[in-house]
Amino acid sequence: MQKQVLSLYRGFLRAARSKSPEDRHQVETIVSTEFRQNSKQVDRKNFIYIEYLLRRGKKQLEQLKSPDTVRLSSLNVSLSQTKNSEK
Amino acid sequence: MAAFSATSVTFASSLKLSLRNNVITERTSNLKMVTVGWRKNSFPSLKTNRFRVSCAAKPETVQKVCDIVRKQLSLPAETQLTSESKFVDLGADSLDTVEIVMTLEEEFEITVEEDSSQNITTVQEAADLIEKLVEKKAA
Repeated sequence: MQKQVLSLYRGFLRAARSKSPEDRHQVETIVSTEFRQNSKQVDRKNFIYIEYLLRRGKKQLEQLKSPDTVRLSSLNVSLSQTKNSEK
Repeated sequence: MAAFSATSVTFASSLKLSLRNNVITERTSNLKMVTVGWRKNSFPSLKTNRFRVSCAAKPETVQKVCDIVRKQLSLPAETQLTSESKFVDLGADSLDTVEIVMTLEEEFEITVEEDSSQNITTVQEAADLIEKLVEKKAA
């Protein structure tokens, strides 16, 4: 399962490469904050929740991969929303 | 260039030295090294020679990896960083390791397979893998 998470993280960082330098930096900051936060907050044995996060992350990655997603405003919103719901 | 590889063949009896010479030259010489290997295929110690090539990374590669790792983990300048340094000992978690590998990919213009990236735990391992991939790309 950790492998899956790391693979998803790689996927995000790879997708970020296709964006403009400025956007890319923003994407990377947000993504790494999100991953690190979850790595601290989420119980490692809470498989169901982690699986849910993985599924959600994969969907978000698909969106990010699309060349139409250039600006981060949309991603930003979705991330901050999920952050709220996690609290 | 051709002259150079010929020289290293003549010196092949003092294998370690000639190997070093070969390894330190630029990427393009990798191709030539292979030709040397073929010509001298009957040479018994040549196997060790080629084995070493895949095993010991160039000092400059190791150095570059060290720099990247240092930057990525924002290590203070006084932290000792050797090729044996383990990322975990330097305070890197699994996410950091992914970031390091991604940065290395970009710096060396290679693509690290998912499976092999999981096995990288030290600077040396990273450098060895990079050399292998760079060589593969040049071939």
